[in-house]
This record gives sequence, structure tokens and C-alpha cells, in this order.
Amino acid sequence: MSLMRQIAWLVLGVVLAALGGAVGLSTVSTQGLMRTQLQLKNADNAQSLALALSQQKGDAELIKLLVSAQFDTGAYEFVRWRSPKGEVVFERSEAPRPGQAPAWFRAWLPIDVAPGVAQVSSGWNAIGTVELRSHASYAHDALWFGTRRLVAWMLIVGIGAAIAASVGLRRIRRPLDAAVAQAEGVLAGSYGQVTEPRVPELQRLTRAMNAMVQRVKDLFEAQAGQLLVLREQVHHDPLTGVSTRKHFLAELDAALQRDDGPVIAGLVLVRLRDLPGLNARLGRASADEVLLTVVSALQAYPESVPGCRVGRLNGGDFALWLPAEGVAAETAHALADALRASLPAYGPGVQVALGAVELPRERPSSVWLGEADAALARAEHLGEARGGFVVEIVAEPGIGREQGEALWRAQLQQAIGDARGQLVEYPVRDRAGRLLHLECPLQLQLDGEFKPAATWLPLAVRARLTASADLFAVALALKAIAADGHARCINVAASSLADAAFLPQLRESLAQWPQAARGLLLDMTEAAATEHFERLLELGQQLRPLGVKLGLEHAGASLAQVERLYQAGLDYVKLDASVLLGVAGEAGRAAFVRGMVIMLRSLALKVYGEGVVDEMDAQALWDCDLDGITGPWVTEGRG
Amino acid sequence: MLRVVLLPRLRWGWLAALALGPLLAAAAYDVARVLEAAATRGPRVVEQAQALVQQIERSGTHDELLRLKDINDFFNRRLAFREDTVTWGLPDYWATPLESLEKRAGDCEDYAIAKYFSLAAAGVPTARLRMVYVRARLQGQSLAHMVLAYYAEPGSEPLILDNLRPEVLPASQRPDLTPVFSFNTEGLWQGAGQVTAGDPMARLSLWRELVAKVRAEGFI
Repeated sequence: MSLMRQIAWLVLGVVLAALGGAVGLSTVSTQGLMRTQLQLKNADNAQSLALALSQQKGDAELIKLLVSAQFDTGAYEFVRWRSPKGEVVFERSEAPRPGQAPAWFRAWLPIDVAPGVAQVSSGWNAIGTVELRSHASYAHDALWFGTRRLVAWMLIVGIGAAIAASVGLRRIRRPLDAAVAQAEGVLAGSYGQVTEPRVPELQRLTRAMNAMVQRVKDLFEAQAGQLLVLREQVHHDPLTGVSTRKHFLAELDAALQRDDGPVIAGLVLVRLRDLPGLNARLGRASADEVLLTVVSALQAYPESVPGCRVGRLNGGDFALWLPAEGVAAETAHALADALRASLPAYGPGVQVALGAVELPRERPSSVWLGEADAALARAEHLGEARGGFVVEIVAEPGIGREQGEALWRAQLQQAIGDARGQLVEYPVRDRAGRLLHLECPLQLQLDGEFKPAATWLPLAVRARLTASADLFAVALALKAIAADGHARCINVAASSLADAAFLPQLRESLAQWPQAARGLLLDMTEAAATEHFERLLELGQQLRPLGVKLGLEHAGASLAQVERLYQAGLDYVKLDASVLLGVAGEAGRAAFVRGMVIMLRSLALKVYGEGVVDEMDAQALWDCDLDGITGPWVTEGRG
Repeated sequence: MLRVVLLPRLRWGWLAALALGPLLAAAAYDVARVLEAAATRGPRVVEQAQALVQQIERSGTHDELLRLKDINDFFNRRLAFREDTVTWGLPDYWATPLESLEKRAGDCEDYAIAKYFSLAAAGVPTARLRMVYVRARLQGQSLAHMVLAYYAEPGSEPLILDNLRPEVLPASQRPDLTPVFSFNTEGLWQGAGQVTAGDPMARLSLWRELVAKVRAEGFI
């Protein structure tokens, strides 16, 4: 039994015992009082009657008259005159009066009183005894009404006491519940702080818990800080602070693979021409300043637009990834303008070429880089002729654009409404090759063929259809889990998380498949978790009891910066391919991954790796102690 | 037992009544208790009590008429007539046999009481005994008096045990006495069951209080 219930029962018991005891004692003592009084009345009346009878000089008629008079004017059951030998000479009697008290009450609290007896004489002669007994019903009635009134009062007092007690218990309960919720949160990996209650015992407990949580938080922050330093060293060019070539290429690959980006994206290459010549002419220090000037112009983009990536490919070559459609040309021109304003300060001969391409994201990275290189080459070629700043844009028009957005939206709605969609399954396996769960991105049937999320998701975001698409995917997954028992993982879009109607509908859907719900995992992006943190907490609180697991996907280098990760109460984190690609070849990257794993483990989170493409990386990741990996290499049957 | 019942009553009567109420005095003549009660009153009383106990024992073997004479003489000899105001400092006090023996004095009802309970102890049925209020004419004066009457048969002429005339005489030979009202312990405790000296019922009249004390002293 819970503590609160025990206390409540105890209070109830004490109140009932006190009230019951009071009623019982009072009733019993009143009963005793009534009995004594009635007994005395009998004895005294018998004595005074005997006194009167003894003065009648033995005249039997007078004696009978007096007995009758006493009987008629009093409330007697009987008045009796016995001869000295014990026979009844004269008697007046009537049946006991019923009174108003119920029979059970009279049986339960009897007022049995003996008759009063006194000796009658006539001169020296004993002429017998008188016996009389009064009616007891009026005494019973008084006892009955008194007891009823007492019970009524005690009930009122008892109800008052119960209300006061329940108010008091609730006051105690509130801080206790908060402390318990905090403890449960810690167990579930959510390290939240609570306000200290005023009750001293709970205050100490809460203070201890808060201190513990604070320590976890400090520990986490220290680890995150270390990771940040490590990341700077591993992923970033020491001079300019932007991604190294290797890291940028991994980031590019990951950006092309992920299914929640735009259909069309852009890439801009910037080349500071003749870097060796600049080094020779201006000196290394000034050449570095020129490089930093270029980088600061590029850095403006990732700082203001989420998803943008800047990398130093080599020497004076820089790349800028733009996860948006129709901005590549504009960006290249804006960059050129900015550089044109700042670079001439370093003297003539500082030349920059820019090449920009806009391509469907489904093209492989080699095509992207090739096209961009070609554009850059053309720009350089032009630059040979013109000198200074040159820009070359290659923009390929998007696919299927001509159909128009309205039509797409209608198709999308219809596909979701008609449940025309399927889940593709990518396994996530542990070290021993056991299937942990299946990652199941949703494909919708548009134009008669199944299209991956990368195609329709951007539109769904704009049309605010992600919530229904995600719910559709969850329903499919639950059905599939119920069929084969394999755990399945569904991506939840940030816009779904933001949708107030999403969570109730999701709960409803889960309630229909309580068994299958235990095998369901929900992925969210870092961005979704950060932007809608409160929603994420709510999601966790409501879904965790149903057995659903929550995690982050595409968790990259910025995971360490996700504030309050220690408070989110997640179950797992999937590391982004951009952090993992090429981990086998570089010790620094491996160290970073290992650091991430240690940090996440300390928060009781499972760590999975995404987008693993070859066995070398897979082996390196197992060495980093990941819980599971996924990606093409795993899907194709892991070597 | 007696001490337990009696002594606390003097000091914390209500508490004793509450706590010891269930401890009853056994309702029968008990020599040991009589002597024990006497012992608390001092060696002189023990001596008197032993004489009384021996007298009761001796009389127990005699017939009832002889018993009447024995007990009548015993108390008429040992007690001096003295008003309650002198003996007890109270206008009226009904003393138990042991109290009277302690003071070696008593007024009319103290004689009657001592004889009543001693005879009861000696085996005379209380139904044959009655305490009688009488009007006595003494030297031309009329005074309220109390005697003990013995009825050998119900309705027969009683024998009178009195301290004014030391011999036991039939009622017809006592024209100086006019009976007014009689009573005894018959029916007094009927139905009341357990009664102790601490019972509030017992202290409601002089007679009831006295009977309760005498029971505690072990006479009946």
C-alpha cells in the first residue's frame, strides 16, 4: 500500500475509533445512569408506599385502595402486595409500554431494573411486602434520542475532521509527488530539478536529488565541452575553423542521403586563385588573413541558416552547401559582391572564382562535386580573360515542378487519405548481427509509383500534412509489428511535433495496438528536439508508459550543444553519417565518436550509427562500442 | 480485600469506585474478613471482635431463641448508651457492629443494627428479623426509638430485642412501645446483583450505606 494511502487509512481509523469510542462510552454511561435512577425510583417509591400502607392498621381494603391509587397516578409496570408467606394478595399491572426506541436498540442496551421492595407492617404484625416496578420505556426513549443526536453530531464532527485531514494530506502529497516524479524522471534518464518543498524531511530529500541532478548536469556539460574541443580539432580546419575536406564530404553525403531535406539544393565553390603566388608575394601571414576574409564571408550563411555547411576543400578552395532551392545563384552573386568589397584591401592580384550549381538532391555527391568543379573551371576560364571576380552558375531546373504545387498537395492528401503508401525497411543490427529494429521510412504512391520521403516531405511540410503522414506511417508500422513482432522505427517530422493534434491522435492509434506499441520507436531530429523541447517532454511522459521508445536521429557534432539533453528523457540517439563516415581512417574522428558514446551512455542512452557504407567503418564503430549500426552496408547483408 | 475496598474509598473514593467497582465483597458471613476488618481498627477492637466471633460460633449451635438471648445480652453488656453527637460528633450516625465495638458505645439503632447483623451471621434468616421504628414512652416522656423484632413465623407475635429493657420479651409485654414502621435487608439487593461499598446506590440512604459497609466487614 502506498505511504499516502496508509496515512489516510490511519487517520480514518483514528477518527472512527475516537468518534465510535465517544458515542459508545457516552451511550453506555448514560445507560448506567438511567438504570441507577430507575432503580432508586423503584426502591424509594416502594419504601414510601410501604410507609403509607403500614399506617392503615392492616385494613386490606384501604391497603388495596392505596396500591391502586399509587399505580394509577404513576408510571408503573406493576405494584404488588404480597402476604408474609409470599403469595400475591393484590396486584395492579399493565404490559410494558413499547416506547419509541426500536426493539434492536432495547435488546442491545437493556435497562433491566429490579423491582423496589419494602416491608409492610400493622403494629407489631408483619403483613407482607410491597413490590413495584416503573416503566423503563421512557428511559429507553431518552437514551435512544440522546444517542441519535450524539451520532449525528459525531458524524458532523467526523466529516469535518475527514475534510481537514484530506486537505492536510494533499498538502503533504504535493511535494512528495514532485519528489517521486523527479526520482522517476532520473530513472528514465530525465534529469530535471524541482522546487524545494517547505516540509523539512522532503526538503532534505529534494535538496539531495537536486544536487545529484546538478552534478549530472555539470558532468554532462564538462563532457560536452571536451567534445566540443575535440570536434574543433578533428572536424575543423585549424586556420579557418570551417570543416576539413574529409568532414565536409561526409557532411555533404549525409545531407544528400537524409530524407527531410529539399528536393533541389545548391552548392557553391569558392576558389582563392593562386594561393602559392599570394603566399610568395604577401607573405604567409597576409595570405592567411585573405583566407580568413573569404571564410568570414562564407560563415555568414551557416550562422544564419540552419543546415548550411562550409568546408575548406584544400588550399584556397572552399565549398558552401545550401539546403534550399533557388538560392545558389543569388548566394554566389552576393558572396562575390561581399568579397569584391573586402579583398582589394590586400592589394591587386587577389582573385576569386565562384562556381554554383543547383541539382536534385538525389544525385550522388560525385555528380554534385563534378558539376560544381566544372562550373568553377568555367568561371576560372572566364576569369583568365576578365580578371578579378567571376561567377558561373549552373542551375538545373527541378523535376516535376511544372505540375504545380496545388496538384501535388492534392495528390499527397489523396495518397495519405487512401492509405496508398508502404514502409521500406532498413535493418539496424547489433554487433552480433542480430536485428534490433527496422528503420521504416514511408513511401507514398504518387503518379502511380512509390516515391521516397525525400520527394514529398518538403511539400508535406509546406502543406502541413506531415502529422497525417507520420500517423499513417505509425499505423502501418504497428500493423507490421503485430504481424511479425519486429520492432520498427518511424521518423517524426519537426512540424508534426509542433502540431497540437498530433499527440492525441498518436495516443489513440497506439491504444488500438497496445502490444505492438511496445515495439515502436520514434525518431526525431536534433532540430525538432531543440525547437519543440516542451512537446518532446510531453511526448515522452505520455508515450513512455505505453512502451514506445523515443530517440534522436541525424545526431551530429552539434548534439553536445542540445541544451537540456540530460532532461529530455530519451531512449537512444542515432549518430549522423557525417560524424561516422571515414571513422576507420582517422583516429581523431574515432576519438570523437568514442567521446560521444561515453557521454550518451552516461545519460543511459543507447547509441546507434547511421549510414555505414563499408566494413572498415563498421569495425571501427564496433570498436567505439556502439549499440547498433544501420546503413547501406548493413542493408546489403554486412559483408 | 477489605482494605483494598475500604481504605481507598476514604481517600480517593470516586477513583476506587471506578477502578475497583467490579471487585465485590462476597455476600456471606466470613470470620476471617471480620477479624481482618477489626485488625485495621486496632488491637482493642480485635479483642472485641474475637469475643463476638466466638459468641456467634457458640450461638450457632443453639436454637434460635437462645441465640436471640445470647446476642442481645452480648451487645447490651458491652455497649454503653451514648448519643451520636457525643460518640461521632454527628446528629445521627448508623454504626456497623465493629464501629460500635470500637467505641464501646451506641444509641438505640446501633444496638439494633449490631444485633441484626450478628444474628444474621449466626444463621437466623433475615426474613424473620425487622428493624422497627417505635415510639417509646419512658418516664412519661415520648421518644423516637428503634428496636429489633424477631418473627418466629410470618404473621406471629414478634420478640423484641431492646436496649431499654435488656431481656428479650414478646411484643405484648412491651406496652411502652408503639410500632410505626419496619424494614430489613430483604429485597434490598434484589436484582442489583453486585454491590460494593463504592457503589453510588449504596450511599443513597443511611440504611443502604450501612448495609454496604457491614457486607464489606464480612457479616453478611
